[in-house]
Amino acid sequence: MKEQKVLFESGNELAAYAAKQINYHVMGYYPITPSTQIAESLDAMKAEGRHDISLIAAEGEHSAAGICYGASAGGGRVFNATSANGLLYALEQLPVQSGTRFPMVLNVACRTVSGPLSIKGDHSDIMYTLNTGWIILFADTPQAVYDMNICALKIAEAVKLPVIVAFDGFFTSHQKRRCQVFAQDEDVREFLGSYDAEYSALDLEHPVTIGSYMNEPDLLNNKYQLHLAMEQAKQEIPKVFNEYAAISGRSIHEAEGYRNEDAEILLFVLGSSFHTAKAAADRMRERGVKAGVITSHLLRPFPKEALYALCANAKTIMAADRQDSYGAGGGNMTLELKAMLQEHGNTSRVLSRIYGLGGRDFYVDEAVEMLEECLKKDSSTFDYFGIYPGDSSLEIQQYFAPVSEEKSSPGLTTAAVDPSGRAVVKGGRVNETTAMPKRLAPGHGACPGCGIPVNVNLLLRGIEGNVVLLFQTGCGMVVTTGYPKTAFKVPYVHNLFQNGAATLAGLVEMCAQRQKRGELAEGDITFIMVSGDGGMDIGMGSAIGTALRNNHLILLEYDNGGYMNTGYQLSYSTPMGAKSSTSHVGENQYGKQFFHKDTPQIMAATNIPYVATVAESNPTDFIKKAAKAKAYAKQSGMAYLKALSACPLNWGDKPNKERGVIGAAVDCCYFPLYEVENGITTISYDPEARNKKIPVADWFALMGRTKHMTKDAYRDIMEAIQEETDRRWARLKARAKDPLL
Amino acid sequence: MSQIRLPETNENGYYEIRLESIGGLGANLCGKLLGELGAVYLGLNSASFSSYGSEKRGSPVKAFIRWCGEDEEIRINSPVENPHILGLFHEAMAGKQPVMAGVTEYTKVIVNTDSTPDEMREKLKLHAGELYCVDALKIAMEAKSRINMVMLGAIAKASGFIPMEAIEQIIRDTVGKKYPQLLECNLLGARLGYESAWGKAYRDDGKYEAVPYEETKNRWGYENAPIGGVNPRFGSTVSNDLSASREGYIPLFIQERCINCGLCDTTCPDMVFQFKPGEYKGKAAMVNAGLDYHHCKGCLRCVEVCPTNALVAGLEREHPDKQWFVRNKDLIVDRLEFEDAGANSWVTSESYLDERRIEGGVV
Repeated sequence: MKEQKVLFESGNELAAYAAKQINYHVMGYYPITPSTQIAESLDAMKAEGRHDISLIAAEGEHSAAGICYGASAGGGRVFNATSANGLLYALEQLPVQSGTRFPMVLNVACRTVSGPLSIKGDHSDIMYTLNTGWIILFADTPQAVYDMNICALKIAEAVKLPVIVAFDGFFTSHQKRRCQVFAQDEDVREFLGSYDAEYSALDLEHPVTIGSYMNEPDLLNNKYQLHLAMEQAKQEIPKVFNEYAAISGRSIHEAEGYRNEDAEILLFVLGSSFHTAKAAADRMRERGVKAGVITSHLLRPFPKEALYALCANAKTIMAADRQDSYGAGGGNMTLELKAMLQEHGNTSRVLSRIYGLGGRDFYVDEAVEMLEECLKKDSSTFDYFGIYPGDSSLEIQQYFAPVSEEKSSPGLTTAAVDPSGRAVVKGGRVNETTAMPKRLAPGHGACPGCGIPVNVNLLLRGIEGNVVLLFQTGCGMVVTTGYPKTAFKVPYVHNLFQNGAATLAGLVEMCAQRQKRGELAEGDITFIMVSGDGGMDIGMGSAIGTALRNNHLILLEYDNGGYMNTGYQLSYSTPMGAKSSTSHVGENQYGKQFFHKDTPQIMAATNIPYVATVAESNPTDFIKKAAKAKAYAKQSGMAYLKALSACPLNWGDKPNKERGVIGAAVDCCYFPLYEVENGITTISYDPEARNKKIPVADWFALMGRTKHMTKDAYRDIMEAIQEETDRRWARLKARAKDPLL
Repeated sequence: MSQIRLPETNENGYYEIRLESIGGLGANLCGKLLGELGAVYLGLNSASFSSYGSEKRGSPVKAFIRWCGEDEEIRINSPVENPHILGLFHEAMAGKQPVMAGVTEYTKVIVNTDSTPDEMREKLKLHAGELYCVDALKIAMEAKSRINMVMLGAIAKASGFIPMEAIEQIIRDTVGKKYPQLLECNLLGARLGYESAWGKAYRDDGKYEAVPYEETKNRWGYENAPIGGVNPRFGSTVSNDLSASREGYIPLFIQERCINCGLCDTTCPDMVFQFKPGEYKGKAAMVNAGLDYHHCKGCLRCVEVCPTNALVAGLEREHPDKQWFVRNKDLIVDRLEFEDAGANSWVTSESYLDERRIEGGVV
């Protein structure tokens, strides 16, 4: 037994703690709820110098998985964490990792898969990984998350397969529990031993080709090798669990039961529900019913023998799945259980219930109800649990009349592209345009002082006529469309933020096609996509593709410099030096380590007809540019606008001061206002010429996230930021002078 | 580490605490500290978690803590239904949110308020239970501490068994270690909370009805909800009343000073201003008719941009007269049943928010 100590931590924090003790070489990750805290926690420890793991925030989960794959091909230890659609976005990479036999550990805080989008927990994501060739451990408590994270790496390296440690999102990932960890990191490292990779792309004396082009008959043999590794894992896993128990005093089993030995009815559940179900079994026992509970801590390889030993005597088993394999008559655990029983010639009755989707809580009374179902003769084989039909008397009440084309075309802001190819705007005055109907209803759930509705409203104020909106995932979408309400008064579509631009491009094309075929009335609709800066990281490819096709639409990016809806992780647009929950400030780290992304220049390089930056501090300029964007989207193709958007919650400033803070960003030329029309750059507002230019540090001083950068200790970095800002500004001025640039 | 015996437990064997707050007051951290207090300082088994997905400023948050004997298992992961202790961090939530759900006559309710228990009982419509009042806002400001530290002390007092020494120790070891310069202030805040919380027990005298704990159910179910999660009720958030998101201040509109420049309407994130066609200085113009305060979250952006001080910050409690509310001009319904709501979000990480609050001093 090695010395243990007591901590009070969540599943996520314990996964991070284990990773820190292991001291992995590399973690490639992309933040996604509810797994994000793992990277956040590791970043906080890194800032304090408590481990050496290289933490790489990718621009999407697909890239994160790529970073992990490349790193593992280099012969070191690799770690990642994700959830839900992030896991699915990376899914393509999972068989690459296992098929080429590079071990690593991936934590999955299980969450329901979109759409409709929900951030809460269920098991619909993890079941997609069953066929990827990864070993999958399922932890039912924060303690098990810790223990399994240490065992996972040892198992992975023993059989040369990657391993997932899965656990319930929120219930396990976020619940803090009293738990034990090794007091000394060395004891963990000693248990794991050193890793000696069989093959490495960094071994120059023994050059190897990793990732062959392979067809029949070889691929079949190759996959058989993978199968054999999984068979080997069946032997290796219990061995590692036993060795671990010897040094920790905590046993882990492939499958586990409670009061199951003489049980006639059994409830089979995964994860945290196992413990809730135990309380239900106790209640049934008090009533004289022989009830028990079973769970599995392994999904791959599926522990058929261990699980069968727990349920051989049951007459009826209720398999409750927190996901559905639609059309199969049960979730995946029902199907696995049935197959396992069939192999043993066992004919006990199996009932299946889908429960707890989208994070719906699981109460003891409900577990009792499920066990009671087992006692009934006429229980249906398959059903959903916890659903309700709704109130049939409910009539849909509309609060507003639809925003008509006539009402939204008061002629207060108009723009047209003149024969020279430049758009000319008339109107756009702040007072007059208060007459424009708002396409967004009040009552949305944005934070007090949030910049997003301000920017969206300013944009829409300048765009007269019909509009159709698409929001990518982000704060703007979350705070406006919380079911069963919506703030949108005009047609609106959401898609995940890898893919908004392509989705809107498809809608634009459908409109054109249906108008052409006479199925829709002729007439103008302005199609507008709204994205955060996070969406312009992970969705950059889609946006650039749309720009290169030059689809007729407007893309507004509200840049608040971070992934704000998930607790402010850094985005590539976060200012250098800013602290975020994945760029902590500490002895060993000063905040974000690289310069902010110059998205307008990237978009300008696609040669779309119109690129502009806008700021609420210059509202008339904003409204006019919106009108121009509409004119270009109608006449020539794509228009891209970027607004710097205030986030009082995460910028660490006061909600009422935000317009001034945005103004300071403009005045220090960190966020210069300009436009690029058919390749020609015009500066819309020149703070230098007006003698208003301020140092970037003056803007940084206004926000809690960057205030520390004005300290003497960071002078060198602050100077570098000023230099880079000045360089970009000087280049912009040069471009404004010369139409060729 | 002292070994504490829990004075009482529920049918599942747990002593349970629920904290009700709005984001920004530090209830999340308070819940975490209480959880850790049980596990590390009181010799108990302990669990704590929050209502996931809402820790934005102004949005309702709940924190849950479960304690039992050190060798007993915590098996339940669902929210606390019938708390032994209920901490209410924001008085304005009374009547706005179902904060009293599941309160029994054995519940100790601790409220951040300057009211007396008798006054508070009326506001809360408390059917029974032991009600403790503490002016946590005032104490926090005076002690340069924070509301959650004061509440921590008050909760210890009300519990009757949590030793104040343990509270002081955990503050030293956690908040104190991270922010040593604030340690003495926070210790003082907790001590004053302990000393000044005062309570009164109410029997179920039939004056108010008990509020049962219920899971929320929407009126749309599998038979009548439009397929695919499609929502045809366009603009329906207008029926949300967000006034509970405000932190004490509202913009006051002094129409005679207004020059109808419209800047307020360009900075308001909540579409509060009602501009209508009218006349200004003898000319036709869009005229500011006033504010629909249902949707005002009190950010005061408008006060900051108003060039003529036609909008000024006022204390909400000094202006309870809602007669100057102007209804949203685009509504086509005669009556509107407002639903109390908070800002909503998915913020699910804690690390950054904890730091910000601590550095922010008074919240």
